[in-house]
Amino acid sequence: MKRAVKIAVVLLAVLAAALAAALLFGAEWATPFSTDVGERAILFDIRLPRVLLGACVGASLAVAGAGLQALLRNPLAEPYLLGVSNGAALGTMMAFVVFGNYVFARPLLAFAGAAVASVVVYSLARTRAGMNVERLVLSGVIVTTFLSSVIIMLTTLLDAARLRSFTFWLLGDLSQATWSGVYLSFGAVVIATIILTSQSRALNLMMLGERDAVDFGVEVGRVRLLVFGASSLVVGAAVAASGSVGYVGLIVPHLLRLAVGSDNRIVVPMSAIAGAAFVVLADLAARVAIAPRELPVGAITALLGAPLFIYLLRKN
Amino acid sequence: MMQVRFFEFRQFVVLALAFVALAGVSCSRPSISNQNAVPDNTRVLKDALGRDVSMPRDVKRVVSLAPNLTEMIYAVGGGEKLVGDTTYCDFPEAAKSVQKIGDTMSPNMEAIIALHPDVVLVSTASQIEAFMRTLAERNIAVYVVDARSVEDVLAGLLTIGDILGTRPKAEETVAALRQRLDSVRSQVDGKATRRVFVQISKEPLFTAGREAYLNEVVRVAGGESVTQQIPGAYPNLSRETASKLDPDAIIISDNEGNHEPDSAFANSAAVKNGQVFRINADLLARPGPRIVDAVEAAARDLHPEAFKEK
Repeated sequence: MKRAVKIAVVLLAVLAAALAAALLFGAEWATPFSTDVGERAILFDIRLPRVLLGACVGASLAVAGAGLQALLRNPLAEPYLLGVSNGAALGTMMAFVVFGNYVFARPLLAFAGAAVASVVVYSLARTRAGMNVERLVLSGVIVTTFLSSVIIMLTTLLDAARLRSFTFWLLGDLSQATWSGVYLSFGAVVIATIILTSQSRALNLMMLGERDAVDFGVEVGRVRLLVFGASSLVVGAAVAASGSVGYVGLIVPHLLRLAVGSDNRIVVPMSAIAGAAFVVLADLAARVAIAPRELPVGAITALLGAPLFIYLLRKN
Repeated sequence: MMQVRFFEFRQFVVLALAFVALAGVSCSRPSISNQNAVPDNTRVLKDALGRDVSMPRDVKRVVSLAPNLTEMIYAVGGGEKLVGDTTYCDFPEAAKSVQKIGDTMSPNMEAIIALHPDVVLVSTASQIEAFMRTLAERNIAVYVVDARSVEDVLAGLLTIGDILGTRPKAEETVAALRQRLDSVRSQVDGKATRRVFVQISKEPLFTAGREAYLNEVVRVAGGESVTQQIPGAYPNLSRETASKLDPDAIIISDNEGNHEPDSAFANSAAVKNGQVFRINADLLARPGPRIVDAVEAAARDLHPEAFKEK
């Protein structure tokens, strides 16, 4: 446990540094000590909620990825590959189409979409003989591609003005951060991290094989339900707030496992902290790289994530 | 065994029917390519990409792949030659009932060919690669009209008038538009230049950058775009930068999801003084004849005192 504390301290220091850098830099210069109304507006109304939302979204996607990878014993298990993200994205789009800009519709339908996608994947994968991991991943791929085609059809049917904001949003975009979005994502990610961490011992045992886990007294069905429920919650909140920021759920838990081993009691909660730092830094790059113009953060996470991943794989 | 034979028979019937249908089609359409091969009937015009495009002297059928081009065709009196347009083409009213061939992003090649146009008018260079060859093989000319300024729009109207054989009407239209532009210029002349932010989209925040013709629209209307130095035509602008611009007027390209100024402008002079104006996105965003309507609307919004007694 001493090791866990050490890792937590290091990661929290990284996160603190990332937050500090993200608050200090942006398209415009603004310091917290300034008395200028304009500078204070930039810092507190625009930059601060955006940075905090980025942290929540990163933590959400990473912790959901860590939980799903452990549950399914598959390194490729990730909110995207399992259709959870696309379910949330479709839910959010339906909220736009049916309810317009009604504030609560987006996160609620996003959560519903993520949950429905999870349940469908889960029940498709379930056989009389029990859960089959290959079958689950396969069902995830099928549901993902099906939902993708529905999303593409919807964007084609929407008129041109909406199309632009959707294509942007599908790449992940934090520029519309609001305080209500921050509170919602923060609440969701705290609850989900607690739930997933509470299941991390059971997840460790399940990695030995489900039958062995049952012998150790693990209630496999309950663990599955909790992990799927918690991931749907965070992914729904994250997608509703910022669209589909890719790669985070795949990259962050993997990097952590390469660095600290595969004990889920460490990997799951630490993924939240590392994911927060990763997205905060990626969004910093998206904000300053071509200022005063902006890039979608999803493009940066993919751009940074892939080479970083390959480097670490080769190094070990 | 019986079943297999039955299917073979069915396949034969289907094939035979297909042959008959094909034969019918090719009989009813004697090869169009031959009649155009006579040089006297064709002419060569340079398009916006500098390509030499040859087309019949007497263009009878034209397809438009962009709403601004459709508006231009009607404005020069070529409406009755328009046999196909896009689902975006909704002005003038008559354009709605023209055969639709898909939208600007993904026009349907088969639908275009089926209309047997002499010329297809295209608005951007990016569209052209995909179907140049296919259409060229069928002697359908693809002509690019790329309007990047108000002057381009006027020149485009004359060119389309040339193509459709309605040059006199086109000249008339252009003269009338020029007169309206001059009248705006003279009315805002001497008035203090307004600092204008043009909001193209709210989520995410898009504005008019260095390459946008909207800078010119704002300038003629007696203003100056505060984002005209930013690279690109329609840059995605940092909201931090937006909050520092402090424009004294905001023009919103009024469209779904874009009715209110971004909250980054809450402290700007424009919002404080109620200088937020909405202009229909169809006027602002289409470089066609109605761009002059947009100029007039912007001028009235920015300098209401100049238009009071006239």
